[in-house]
Amino acid sequence: MGNGVIIDGFPSMEEIKKANGWPTEKRFAKGPVAIAECVQEIPCNPCEGACPSHAICVGQPITNTPQVDREKCTGCGLCVAACSGLAIFVIDKTYSETEATVSFPFEYLPLPEPGDKVEALTRGGEYRCEGTIVRVMNPKRNDHTAVVTMAVPKEYIDDVRTMKRLNAPKEETVFEPVIPDGPIDDDVIVCRCEEITAGEIRKAVREYKGESVTEIKRRVRAGMGLCQGRTCGKLVTRIIQEETGKKPNEILPSTDRPPVRAVTFGELAGAKEGGCGDE
Amino acid sequence: MKKEVVIIGGGPAGLAAAIEAAKCGAQVLLIDENKRPGGQLFKQIHKFFGSKAHNAGIRGIDIGRQLLKETEECGVEVWLDSAVIGLFADKKVAVLRNGTTVTVEAEKILICTGGAENPLRFPGWTLPGVMGAGAAQTMINVNRVLPGKRVLMVGSGNVGVIVAYQLLQAGANVVGIVEGMPKIGAYGVHAAKLRRAGVPFFLGHTIAEAKGTEKVEKAVIAKFENGQIVKGTELETEVDVICIAVGLRPLSELAQMAGVQHDFIPELGGWMPLHDGDMETNVPGIYVAGDTAGVEEANTAMDEGRLAGVSIAHTLGYLKDEETVQKKNEIKDRLNALRQGPFGERRLNAKQRVIEKGEAV
Repeated sequence: MGNGVIIDGFPSMEEIKKANGWPTEKRFAKGPVAIAECVQEIPCNPCEGACPSHAICVGQPITNTPQVDREKCTGCGLCVAACSGLAIFVIDKTYSETEATVSFPFEYLPLPEPGDKVEALTRGGEYRCEGTIVRVMNPKRNDHTAVVTMAVPKEYIDDVRTMKRLNAPKEETVFEPVIPDGPIDDDVIVCRCEEITAGEIRKAVREYKGESVTEIKRRVRAGMGLCQGRTCGKLVTRIIQEETGKKPNEILPSTDRPPVRAVTFGELAGAKEGGCGDE
Repeated sequence: MKKEVVIIGGGPAGLAAAIEAAKCGAQVLLIDENKRPGGQLFKQIHKFFGSKAHNAGIRGIDIGRQLLKETEECGVEVWLDSAVIGLFADKKVAVLRNGTTVTVEAEKILICTGGAENPLRFPGWTLPGVMGAGAAQTMINVNRVLPGKRVLMVGSGNVGVIVAYQLLQAGANVVGIVEGMPKIGAYGVHAAKLRRAGVPFFLGHTIAEAKGTEKVEKAVIAKFENGQIVKGTELETEVDVICIAVGLRPLSELAQMAGVQHDFIPELGGWMPLHDGDMETNVPGIYVAGDTAGVEEANTAMDEGRLAGVSIAHTLGYLKDEETVQKKNEIKDRLNALRQGPFGERRLNAKQRVIEKGEAV
């Protein structure tokens, strides 16, 4: 059970079965078969064209989720490398008496080698068991998406979808509770070019009724520096919103005038040969 | 100096438009302020979505290479390292180039200058190590420099999640992704790549503070409810980079100064130029495309560029009516296909509003 792809970041079994279907145990018993785990309607269809057996259908519109015809599918794995979303896997439950294999797309260097013992991870990146690398396919046609085949005990095959990347950092990331002691918001710089703080802008909104980016610019110079407000314009809008309760569509951006890039008087006057200077 | 078509911005929209217009016979000048055209495409090392017509399954960087090759083949004149600093009456374009300003008079202008990342204000946001996700992506994928070892990503949209994945590929550790909303914004398949790699999402959380003296040393995150930080829920962890990926806005200074009517369209990034169904604005002969015409993604940017390119070629007399209608319909069908589904529908509706308003101006 899971919360679904938009909360967990990976699809639940229910979502996969609903959007893409799932092979029957009878089909699994026949050998390798492709499983698409692409549950959202996104505009994408390279998998359809990649299958030499025409077993994958997206059709029209191209936002349809892919459907695999498990009878036509030979489990060749060409779709695994072709999927731009890295969301197709090939499962072979007939690999051995006790083990099944999963073939997954892998775009991290270094690549593993056949025989390597690796950490087999779930869709959520959790360690499930040790895996043994069976095959690493990385022909030119794959365009740098290697397809790695890994054997794991059969009971884990529905959960395991990748291996831990070989250069993954050893240390754990710790998030610790902390009492904030940073600067107060009024002291935070908003316009970096002119070094104008949130407090100064707030004051301009309150005391001088500045309600547009241009008015604030004239009062405190926010947006008059080298970048001409390209960075702080949105931040100033935000503060006006916070102070006045206005909606963003009610706050006009500053008026843009030439030159929109920093330019010297010499350049403007066409000081060098070849300049027009007739304007 | 006079040119038939001036395209400002050589990203996916600009390149696609230049190719389309030049193939029909128009004389095209493409201007880009960078040393290399391609916009954000050369940072995109992941395989693109879409259909075959959109080069789906091909990495962004390779789509960029292909567009550049076509641009050369069809004879587009390209000015690099050249910044357009202003647009003036009668479609005069002021360009800063080789240390001087040059004025180009254009019959048609396409503005496709892209978008800019939104900033976020919090204590410590000006410390070195706090950067836009786009900046981190440029460092790892273009300059091959790892911005840091331990990264906190703020924002779970496609940009935040894709850049987080690429940071992992580059060898950094992403300690978590913070998202103010109670759900993940990105495509589930992008999020799933990070979850498999063990990266946690902190939903309903925001960045509360970046701590450090000379540079970022720690990040404080906290629960976020009703637009407020919930006091007493602060958590701190060691990081050396905090990436901000809280959306983009259209860059349209040039359209604004040319007198193009703007409106506030929240689904497409806020204030943006209005345009009609052929990407032309209320100022005749001035077109917009790509993120400038509302923030979407590279596939829609390329198709909007093509649409503008076809419209421009037609109005200049290089394309017959019948052929034009056919080409436009093909492109519009592809754009509609990209704007389907739960992620695309909001943009589809917003775009329809933009076009309705744009045609009414």
